[in-house]
Amino acid sequence: MSILDYFKPVSTWSAEKIRDFLNQKNSGEYNLVDVRQPEEYEQGHLPGARLIPVGELPNRLAELDRNKPTIVY
Amino acid sequence: MRSRAAASILTGAGFQEVHSMGGGMRAWKGLVAEGIPEAGMAYFTPATRPEEMVALAWLLEDGMRKFYESLAQIMQDQEAKGTFENLKRSEENHKTTLWKLFEEISGRTPTHEFPNKVIPAEPRGDVMEGGMLVSEALEWSRGKALKDILELCISLETNSYDLYLKMEQKVETNKAKQVFKTLSEEEKNHLDRLTSMFGKNI
Repeated sequence: MSILDYFKPVSTWSAEKIRDFLNQKNSGEYNLVDVRQPEEYEQGHLPGARLIPVGELPNRLAELDRNKPTIVY
Repeated sequence: MRSRAAASILTGAGFQEVHSMGGGMRAWKGLVAEGIPEAGMAYFTPATRPEEMVALAWLLEDGMRKFYESLAQIMQDQEAKGTFENLKRSEENHKTTLWKLFEEISGRTPTHEFPNKVIPAEPRGDVMEGGMLVSEALEWSRGKALKDILELCISLETNSYDLYLKMEQKVETNKAKQVFKTLSEEEKNHLDRLTSMFGKNI
């Protein structure tokens, strides 16, 4: 048992895979979250993405449906 | 990189299926994605016993302190240097706070047994939030723009913040709850400072 046993890797999808996923689904079927800063969001973001800067995420979990697949970038 | 921290928080909060986009917006636009440290951000499995939680937090704070100390040394930018020195001192204080909390919770004086008898350190080196090795993160930071380094720090601090919020809910005594609440507030403060500096460097 070492400190690293307390961590499990998260899933990462390529941009292409996410593009395919978004094309196949209706917007109500997933959460799409942009976790960058507002300035970056304004410069361009994925269609339908909801802005929640990463530092605010722990306090704003209730805004997302945890039963839907969730994509973050 | 921030998206991996976000994915880690969501998975830890019980979201059924979470994926982060590798390379972020740069990859989406077809630009070449920059390499991200391999260990990346990882989902944290909550420690169950209070003593375990405190030892884990202590080890992570120690890793963060070493990371900030090294960053302060290599920084050219004076504002960034000052900020990292400040953050280093703050993480040092957190270690002291956790040390005292261990004494309270366990009723024992922390000796050589703490933290490494409670949670053995990683033999390959110091570990920070997300399971990232300090040495890997430092190697990655060399030659990177301040903005990229700040992004990594924001990801790490967000995970720390989230970890302390979780720990506050898990521990039972009011004293321990108060300690984790204070720690989470301070990490949030770090996060706000880093985010503000990041905003100036976008």
